[in-house]
Amino acid sequence: MATSFKFKPLTISILLLFLYNAIASSASGSSSTTMHTNNWAILVCTSRFWFNYRHMANTLSLYRTVKRLGIPDERIILMLADDMACNARNKYPAQVFNNENHLLNLYGDNVEVDYRGYEVTVENFLRILTGRHERAVPRSKRLLSDEGSHILLYMTGHGGDEFLKFQDSEELQSHDLADAVKQMKEKRRFKELLIMVDTCQAATLFSQLQSPGVLAIGSSKKGENSYSHHLDSDVGVSVVDRFTFYTLAFFESLNMYDNASLSSLFTSYNPNTLMSTAYYRTDLYQRRLEEVPVTNFFGSVMETIHTDSPYRAFSNRYYRKSKTEMPSDQSGGGNRRALKDLDILEELADPKLNVRPLQSTYLLVHEG
Amino acid sequence: MAAASAPTPSSTAEIAEAPEPLPSKLDNSEPDCPRKTRPGLKRLALTFTVLFSFLLGLPFLLKSVEIYRSPLPFREIDDLSAAVESIPLQFPCKFRAVFVGIGGSSFDANELSVKIEHQMREIAAKDSTSCGACTYNSSVCVVVENGADCFRSDNDFNWKCGALSELNKYEDSGEYNDELFDEYLHSLVDESDSRGNGNNVYTMIVVRREGQKDVSAVVGKYRHGWIVGRVSEEEAVKKVASVFVKVFVNGGKEEGSISGEFMPVGADGKIVLSFNLLNADPHDWTYDWEFQEIDDNLLAPILEYLKPLADISVESQVLYHTPKSSFSYWDETLGSYIFTTKDLPFFVEGRAILQYVPSSTECPLQLQLPNGKISKSNGFISPMWGSVVVWNHAACLNGSKMETRVRHMISSEDMRKIFEVFIGQLRQLFGLKSKGIFRDASGTMRLLTSESGFTEWELDVLSRQHTCFNLLQCTTTLGSLSRLVQSLPRMIIKEEIGEQVRYSLEAAKLALSNVSAGIYDASAVSSRRARSFAEDAFYHPSMMSVSYYSFEHCFAVYSPFFLPVALHVLLAALREWKRYKQESRKFKAWKSKKD
Repeated sequence: MATSFKFKPLTISILLLFLYNAIASSASGSSSTTMHTNNWAILVCTSRFWFNYRHMANTLSLYRTVKRLGIPDERIILMLADDMACNARNKYPAQVFNNENHLLNLYGDNVEVDYRGYEVTVENFLRILTGRHERAVPRSKRLLSDEGSHILLYMTGHGGDEFLKFQDSEELQSHDLADAVKQMKEKRRFKELLIMVDTCQAATLFSQLQSPGVLAIGSSKKGENSYSHHLDSDVGVSVVDRFTFYTLAFFESLNMYDNASLSSLFTSYNPNTLMSTAYYRTDLYQRRLEEVPVTNFFGSVMETIHTDSPYRAFSNRYYRKSKTEMPSDQSGGGNRRALKDLDILEELADPKLNVRPLQSTYLLVHEG
Repeated sequence: MAAASAPTPSSTAEIAEAPEPLPSKLDNSEPDCPRKTRPGLKRLALTFTVLFSFLLGLPFLLKSVEIYRSPLPFREIDDLSAAVESIPLQFPCKFRAVFVGIGGSSFDANELSVKIEHQMREIAAKDSTSCGACTYNSSVCVVVENGADCFRSDNDFNWKCGALSELNKYEDSGEYNDELFDEYLHSLVDESDSRGNGNNVYTMIVVRREGQKDVSAVVGKYRHGWIVGRVSEEEAVKKVASVFVKVFVNGGKEEGSISGEFMPVGADGKIVLSFNLLNADPHDWTYDWEFQEIDDNLLAPILEYLKPLADISVESQVLYHTPKSSFSYWDETLGSYIFTTKDLPFFVEGRAILQYVPSSTECPLQLQLPNGKISKSNGFISPMWGSVVVWNHAACLNGSKMETRVRHMISSEDMRKIFEVFIGQLRQLFGLKSKGIFRDASGTMRLLTSESGFTEWELDVLSRQHTCFNLLQCTTTLGSLSRLVQSLPRMIIKEEIGEQVRYSLEAAKLALSNVSAGIYDASAVSSRRARSFAEDAFYHPSMMSVSYYSFEHCFAVYSPFFLPVALHVLLAALREWKRYKQESRKFKAWKSKKD
């Protein structure tokens, strides 16, 4: 009996030691302390030709969703072959639908395509990711993200085991993608990256990734195909893929102030309706999916800081003729909330002003 | 016998490929067809010549498919990383203090110096080490004046004793004004600088006056500040130390270290400021502004002043139809439309510095802060993006009607006020405060404003922080580049990239030497150059992984040309050699038989 008691403290201390090591190692691998400041979206449709209508519809639907939730055009890079809307076989010219009810025209006004037609190549795609453009490439075609950016990368088209076909002439290999992401991480071009792939055998495309901070979901596993949702008999081709269709259904019920989590999105895919298994990998991602709101990737974030007061230094300069300027030594009215200038002396006297700590939601305001 | 053996030769003759007589093929040692002559060397020479010419040509072939890689100085890059990243980069700064009316001996001067240093180290220790801080190694020079006596702790400081004795009369005369006093002190401090290196010396002047109840603490536009009033020695030491550390070194921010989001300078060291006037709805009213005048009078001097930090260029435009995408609500008590801080992210799409004129449906439009107060400046910034100011014009407040279809010009007075908010926002984008007050545990200080938009000590703070940030970025970029290049041994590295890396290393070394000498603006300029070269090298468009030749590719391209031919040449040489050996053996056998 005595010996067993003696062992107990020893085992407890050993357990504590292991626990401490585990905590220490996990702490060292935790994410950096940069703040999430903006969101970017890169939407790539890798197919061309009329019978791949659904891929363009997929991409445009996601473009519309992401814009509705707040990401502005200047932070969306849209790559489309763009040969559907004005295709000679299109019964509804200049219109692209993602549903046979034709309620929504995806190609309406306000679509800004950055890379169109034959510009959608593997080389350009990798140039966008790594940032190595020729000098003449305009700002709207560059990914100008920084270490506080969350990037959504959506790719759709025809894929296979460890590759994705680009415009029927070349392939993007999974190790090229992994290499590009590795370079992005080295240069700190993103804080977190969400990769969504809607192709056949989609999960193989991100199998080689190793950079931390990356979350990836594919519409099917290795050996499985991804299927289209329905055929529009009027247009004559399938108009949307299943994975994208259910993703859109999830987002249609959301508005910009909601905070549904990523895990609810990922678990909303039902293999029976998808006819494939939506596979996602979270081993490179530190945060728990239940705690990550979808607007972290699909919506917009702008950290804002209020400007306390104007910088009063120019009263003596500038226009000599104006006589109506208020000299800065006289104090303005007391607590009037009118739009008059209150000056520094009054602020010095006001005891209620104090420094507020930064409020840490993803809308940050500093007031003091 | 002959008949029995006859069929065999004919059948074997079918399968034999050469019409040569059989005995020489089947049996070498049979002397049926002896070789009487020495075998010739011509065939051998021919085949071997061809083989050797192939072998000679192989190095030329390998040279022609060699990948050109400009040699990068990997060792130097590693050394630079070690120099910059191991310890936080710190600058030498000098501090001086003058005490008038406190203490009365040289012992006091030394004691005060020690106390201030101790207090400074305490305050600095609480603050996490930020980029671009000062080393607190040098001692603080103190001068103590009391009546006619004057004691120094260090003879380097040539303060003119008795210069402030006129202060009482001056203040009582009613002409006293902080700005004028600042100028006066500036002339004094300048004179007192014996070594002429006024660049990194900060001075605080404490004047103890019994008659004054409240203590006025002001930091001037240059590199000095003062505290005047009834202040005890303890308080004075605390205040002086906190001004030195929190204001002169850290820039007057209440938070800790600077993070990357307050570095609006791009990778090439340039900033483009875009000023936009947005009219929400041209049906109600349209406004225009005279930007050129503002640029000439106010903006250009400020940008000139900021030259060591960044090359700033300015553009401006007026937009006539830019509706807002978020909603505001009408508040009866405040008499205006309110938008809160929650609506800010969806305000307007675009970038840079915006001034928004709301439409008649939303006029006046005011910003309400989370604590319920209304913003005085009606503006906000978003780091790395820009800022917005909402301007409600006078007619909107009065409710009077305005003529539409006429472009109204914003009055110069309004422009000046708006411009002050812009400059405040520009300062915020750089990480400084737009307010002229600094508050902390030891009290409140007033920070004087400067016509250049930034005071000298603020520019020092920014230079130090930018230098540190730029150098860190430069070393991480060069480190990433060297790792990338070493991990892809068959990627082409152009000469240009090697040159840029070398320039970057030179500029970084220059920056480090400037840092240790304490020259802030030169170090900012050279660190900026270092970073821009490093970024150019890293982002060179030729380094794409899809465009380098893997070994398999090279092999697959060249082997169809050379492999079949090489095979035949080799086999021919081997066959000739074997044949030569056979023939010479036969000849030797015949010769030995003959003898």
